[in-house]
Amino acid sequence: MTKKLHHLSALELNRAFIEGQIRAVDIAAYFLDRIQIHNPKLGAFLSILAERALIQAEAIDLKRSQNKPLGRLAGVPIAIKDNMHILNEITTCGSKFLKNYRAPFDATAVHLMEQEDALILGKTNLDEFAMGSSNENSAFFPAHNPWNVKCVPGGSSGGSAAAIGARLSLLATGSDTGGSIRQPAGLCGVVGFKPTYGRVSRFGLVAFGSSLDQIGPITTTVADAALAMEVIGRHCPQDSTSLTLPPESYLDTLNNTNLSEITFGVPWHFLENLAPESRTNFSNSLDVLKGLGAKIIDIDLDICKYAIAIYYILATAEASTNLARFDGIRYGERSSQAKILDDVYELSREEGFGAEVKKRVMLGTYVLSSGYQDAYYKKAQKVRTLVIRSFERAYDRCDAVLLPVSPSTAFPLHSIHDPIQMYMQDIFTIPANLAGLPAISVPSGFDNNGLPFGLQFIGPQMHDVPVMQYAHAYEMATLYTRKIAPAFEGT
Amino acid sequence: MSNFDEHTLANLEKLCRIRCTPEEKKELLLSMGKILDYMHQLNEIDTSNVSACNYVLQEMAGTELREDEIGDVLSREQFLANAPDQIGGMIRVPPVIKIP
Amino acid sequence: MNDSSWEPVIGLEIHVELNTKSKLFSSAPNRFGDEPNTNITVVCTGQPGALPSLNKEAVRKAVQFGLAVNAKINLISHFDRKSYFYPDSPRNFQITQYDEPIVIGGAVIVDVEGETKIFGIHHAHLEDDAGMLKHFNTFAGVDYNRAGAPLVEIVSLPCIHSAKDAVAYASAIRSIMLYLDASDCNMEEGSLRFDANISVRKKGEEILRPKIEIKNMNSFHFLEIALNEEIRRQISLYTENPNQIWEKLVPPGTYRFDPNSKTLVLMRRKESADDYRYFPEPDLVPIRLTQEYVDSIQSALPELPQDRYRRYITTLGLSEHAASVLINDKPLSDYFEAALRLYPNPRLLCNWIMVEFTGRLAEGGKTILSLGIPPANIAKLAQMIDENRITSRIAKSVADDMVKNPLLDPETIVKNNPDYQPVSDPSEIEPLVDQVISENSQTVADYRAGHEKAFAYLVGQVMKKTRGKASPQVVNELLRKKISIALS
Repeated sequence: MTKKLHHLSALELNRAFIEGQIRAVDIAAYFLDRIQIHNPKLGAFLSILAERALIQAEAIDLKRSQNKPLGRLAGVPIAIKDNMHILNEITTCGSKFLKNYRAPFDATAVHLMEQEDALILGKTNLDEFAMGSSNENSAFFPAHNPWNVKCVPGGSSGGSAAAIGARLSLLATGSDTGGSIRQPAGLCGVVGFKPTYGRVSRFGLVAFGSSLDQIGPITTTVADAALAMEVIGRHCPQDSTSLTLPPESYLDTLNNTNLSEITFGVPWHFLENLAPESRTNFSNSLDVLKGLGAKIIDIDLDICKYAIAIYYILATAEASTNLARFDGIRYGERSSQAKILDDVYELSREEGFGAEVKKRVMLGTYVLSSGYQDAYYKKAQKVRTLVIRSFERAYDRCDAVLLPVSPSTAFPLHSIHDPIQMYMQDIFTIPANLAGLPAISVPSGFDNNGLPFGLQFIGPQMHDVPVMQYAHAYEMATLYTRKIAPAFEGT
Repeated sequence: MSNFDEHTLANLEKLCRIRCTPEEKKELLLSMGKILDYMHQLNEIDTSNVSACNYVLQEMAGTELREDEIGDVLSREQFLANAPDQIGGMIRVPPVIKIP
Repeated sequence: MNDSSWEPVIGLEIHVELNTKSKLFSSAPNRFGDEPNTNITVVCTGQPGALPSLNKEAVRKAVQFGLAVNAKINLISHFDRKSYFYPDSPRNFQITQYDEPIVIGGAVIVDVEGETKIFGIHHAHLEDDAGMLKHFNTFAGVDYNRAGAPLVEIVSLPCIHSAKDAVAYASAIRSIMLYLDASDCNMEEGSLRFDANISVRKKGEEILRPKIEIKNMNSFHFLEIALNEEIRRQISLYTENPNQIWEKLVPPGTYRFDPNSKTLVLMRRKESADDYRYFPEPDLVPIRLTQEYVDSIQSALPELPQDRYRRYITTLGLSEHAASVLINDKPLSDYFEAALRLYPNPRLLCNWIMVEFTGRLAEGGKTILSLGIPPANIAKLAQMIDENRITSRIAKSVADDMVKNPLLDPETIVKNNPDYQPVSDPSEIEPLVDQVISENSQTVADYRAGHEKAFAYLVGQVMKKTRGKASPQVVNELLRKKISIALS
């Protein structure tokens, strides 16, 4: 092998493995080594499943030596966000509450990937219970951006994005409720895809905002994301919100699109407050797409300026009930001070939950409570309908919507204290969750400090394949995905 | 203007069964009001003829309901493996007093 | 205190646990009585990452119930989360149907002491049950076997005006559920529970006075006592304190019935109404039924209790009492039906099943079903009586034998016991008839003088001498012949 393993894409490594150029145990050892060296300064992984990975690798090598058919992810190292279950392994959700919780079942997405011979390296860091945009809310330690370790990697899938950005793994899973896959992917210079709501099973994903959550891949290339979606984008009978559609072919059709037939919509008015550097980068991206023949038109998504208000009502409302089960009764850390039942609840939750989680649970309870539900929860659900309609009207005139993935590049750790300012990080990503739309973030360049920008393509519901096609075309024309964070390029 | 004060906070703590540390309470009294005020901007929008979006999928995910069969049973052993306290196969909790 | 000037206003909420194989949203076994925490899955123990999945059979049974009470079936209904913290709740929210339930309206028609009454139903909905909390001195134990079990909650209109009516309504609901085979309605095991809301008002008053709630009664007997107790209490309060504000006399509260003291015990006051924060369950899509589906369930509905009752009275000619008893004991009624199919003499069968056999078994605590006597055997016995192959006296002995040997059929019993063969040969009976006539000359004279009863006495004497084996017909003929011969 001439190229360093961590410079390969998942597809390339999978091919190399199948062709017998390298053993799975060597792949596992290679990446586990990288993790051991680099994780301390990145905080990307919460747990490293070295023994498990090596056992899996041996089994895959044996399969290959016996000429048995190999899975689509054979030989590909994978990192799993630590709010998704691997049977019998700890799932912490980045929280003290679950620091000793051993999953009694596999998440469907994880199971599907292991069936395809994926090599799971470990569980990645996240904002506690997926609540955050910077990975600073992890109860254990923050994660860091590979392009500048003093900066945040984004959140809540900060660990997964950092891991891919630093090439500690070639494929990672994230979960996206308001942007938690796309925003960190954008900040870390990698690809992040959120499928249409219901395209990937949520069974085994610890729920945050049930009507908004989706699992998706974080990868180095769009093609790798396509590969991952072919494996995990399947109907799941245990998830009642899972689409009853056959799996789609993402890879074969990736090159099919001729952008000269495509119209992209840009909501200029919605972007009026975009910072100059971001605006320049965004405009440059539009020029690239125009160069490929695409038409760009102006669309109206003004309603999206209310997206944050809607989101923080609906997501926290759902979360307040989803997190009610963490009560110290059946699992999780029960407070040792608890003498009466009320203590079990109140002290376990006091000790187990971080400040941001408490805030959101209380906010969610408030907006659902009697006397306030109409003004907050029901109102937000109605405005959500308006957001959906706005996108539908836009898609009458364009094939996909373009937006920057976040208002700025990565910011320094501990630099944002105002909650609303932090929530504003998701202003461009939340709309796709509200409307259940497929959306992808692709690297689109760097700022003056070398920090990555991300470009976002958002398609109509169930247009996951076209969204990937557009992103792939953009990627092939720009090749920002080839650049690796300097500190992690070498060994 | 939402009036989020100590009383509101105390009620919320009770409703969610969460106790906050004094520092957290201080921060919450500052930020919660701000956040709730921020949400008031939704009142600018006329939703008088709009129905609530309770289910975001255009095509409902599935009309296939689950067959009435037994499956995927969790063993008691596995269930109790994560239990903070157990006795006789049950989860043990402090006595539950019924108070009027 | 004049009780009859007051009108109780009662609404019943009946929780019925469906007898599906698996639970409502989880595929765990839906069974009672097993070792704690052995009928569970990740869903019904509220594990993080688990998601609910709706049981289609539970939906079908709910629709069946709705049709059986002539309610409207909501073709689109959805589930809601109802939040409250309690150890027996695996998620600290229940999945129920709050504002769009699957069954709306409906009514139950019941016979209460000869009067036909109609009780209206407000709605019925599906929801999952909580687990069980077992209380000990220094701790409580939680068992999630029942958590997630499918419940249909039936909410009546506040149209019940006496404890007797409440029991009649509740029995009717229970009966319907049994006839639909939707639940085993076993009250000891908790698969049928009643909550009641109760207030009183002066007859003619249109407004409703404050009410209290009594929860989790699990027998008709306790239901009746509890309601009567509370009616009496509320009436006393109002009559003894005519100037007090009603809300002060009857503050809102939730009570339970203590079977030992036979009184109501306060569980909790409702100072601030429970804020359940209902909102639509995002993990489940709405239930969407087609009219074809509902129609197919309608056409496949089994015979309902009120229809069977009517058939027993009008078509089969059974007494109201017999019909009532049978209707209220479905297994026995089904047994009766099985026998009837083999030998269509309903009144004879009814008498033998409900009087003769039940009487023989009462002491031992067994029933004709638990004993295992096949209905075919009862049918055969009835046939043999009707065809005069045995006398009813002999039949009683045969019945005794059938009780001793439940699987032995009556024909075999009779064949094997010479004592049971009725004697019809006149040459065998004649000498005995002669004997009786000569031994009872006074009675013979009485008969000749016009006393019919005397004849029956003579018949009885002959039967005694034949140990009941003689064919009554033959005895009759011979006696009359000989007496009239003697006359002439």
